[in-house]
Amino acid sequence: MEEKKDAAYFKRLAHQLMFDLSDAEAEDIVKEFDTLGRQLTLLDAVDTEGVEPMVYPFEEETSFIRADEVSNVISQDEALANVDKKLEGHFVLPKVVK
Amino acid sequence: MMIAEMAKDTAGAEKRCEAAYAKAQALQPKLNDVITFVDPKEQLAKLPAEGLMRGVPVALKDNVCTKGIRTTAGSRILENYVPIYNANIVDRLAAAGAVTIAKASMDELAMGGTNLTCFQGPVYNPWDQTRMSGGSSGGSAVLVASGVVPMAIGSDTGDSIRKPASFCGVVGVKPSYGRISRYGIIPYASSLDHVGYFTRSIEDACVALKVLAGRDDRDMTSSNRPVPDYPALLNSDLHGRKIAVFKNVIDALPNPETKKMFLDLMAKLQERGAEIGEFEFRDDLMKAMLPTYYLIANCEATANHSNLDGIRFGVRQDGASMEEIMTNSRTKGFGPLIRKRFVIGSYGLFQENQDRLFRKAQKVRRLIVDQAYECFRDYDCLIAPASADIAPRIDDASRDQLSDGYLIAENHMVIGNFGGFPSMSVPMGFEQGCPIGVNLTCRPFEESVMFGLGKAVEEITGYRDLTAEVK
Repeated sequence: MEEKKDAAYFKRLAHQLMFDLSDAEAEDIVKEFDTLGRQLTLLDAVDTEGVEPMVYPFEEETSFIRADEVSNVISQDEALANVDKKLEGHFVLPKVVK
Repeated sequence: MMIAEMAKDTAGAEKRCEAAYAKAQALQPKLNDVITFVDPKEQLAKLPAEGLMRGVPVALKDNVCTKGIRTTAGSRILENYVPIYNANIVDRLAAAGAVTIAKASMDELAMGGTNLTCFQGPVYNPWDQTRMSGGSSGGSAVLVASGVVPMAIGSDTGDSIRKPASFCGVVGVKPSYGRISRYGIIPYASSLDHVGYFTRSIEDACVALKVLAGRDDRDMTSSNRPVPDYPALLNSDLHGRKIAVFKNVIDALPNPETKKMFLDLMAKLQERGAEIGEFEFRDDLMKAMLPTYYLIANCEATANHSNLDGIRFGVRQDGASMEEIMTNSRTKGFGPLIRKRFVIGSYGLFQENQDRLFRKAQKVRRLIVDQAYECFRDYDCLIAPASADIAPRIDDASRDQLSDGYLIAENHMVIGNFGGFPSMSVPMGFEQGCPIGVNLTCRPFEESVMFGLGKAVEEITGYRDLTAEVK
């Protein structure tokens, strides 16, 4: 049986995505999901038998295997330039083993 | 003054850029269209001797990475983010002599069509400040419409350049997928994202694309095709041109005034030698267009933004564990609309839902694009009003999201993103003192054809260098 799409369901889903929802936000998603559900019936109504999914607009090849040469190097300082808490070249996080 | 004239006016560069910088600041309290002002002095000292945009002040949507200059993408989680590299287009603009004076407001992470969701508040329409600018590239559209800069960069995943262009009375160009490099653009949905721009004339639009387009090895979707000389190719002669009126959109238009304005324009295009016909898409595909977009865009966005955790970059919130830091950072860092979209995107990506939702949407996408190619077998261009109405009022939330007026007339431009077709909005007329645009979509990499048709529209309407007087 399909799980009920209530506020608690969407709060659990949000936690998997690493954020919280307020009660009002979760209720809002429940309502929006109802509209979305009705829109999705319009999607379901389209016959896609034998149709390949379209992932990108064009089939023409634009990617390539580059030469194995060092390029676009950034320094450690640059890599850590936007880190809020850092120490001696590392990210600082709470201790895992207490 | 057009961009080409500005580029030749070497003596006026400094004064022009300083004036644009000052004007942007003076209008900010009324329009709220800038996130970060960029003092032009340093760039003016390093101007090349010549260039297609030498000494031309420009603005960048704030999802364009600028080395050493804060780039927020309109999101609180990136409020302190300072990139260590430039987007490809930033280097291209600098090489052409353009001078960036502002990073423009945008809907948070480009995920919206209103520009009401930026962390620093809404952008106001320069024609009527009780109305929205449209989004997600609203700040850029407003900076061009209010006469601050003649060109501003935007990005377009569904209609995020073309819709605000319509609401603000400017030209909004989304070129073919891969025409402009996306290296250094904070993404939304990779298979739909395009870089584009706003100008106040077709002439300027041609110059801008010549500067911005071209292969970039750092963007694996960047096209290898040579870049035509768009300004030299500009030709508004319509003889031999075949234009298809987008019948489903016209039938779904709820506003008779917009319809009349559009049909009058079609009659004038015909008088100038264009052959006008109509093309009707399958009704079931048109009704499925918005959910198809919504699923693909949200699913791709959810994956793209999983790196925003407050630890490696962005605003970090305290927590007792790594997970708690991430959760707190993402909860406080994202606005409610973004979190909602991520939840829906994640739902669509669940293994049990992937075939039923995400893959299904990708298949419907192909069917819609195939139909567009059917149209382009017979016609050079698909044309329709860019929006059903003028810009909505900021407090207006009264839309029936299941009506044809909404599903089709307000969302049809997403076809340009599904198929990577070049597509642009050009001012068409005014209702209640506010502008509304017409949208032209052409075959892939036929931007020159699109510019020629747009030029004809511009000559008919006379809306060249249209500027809002901000009261």
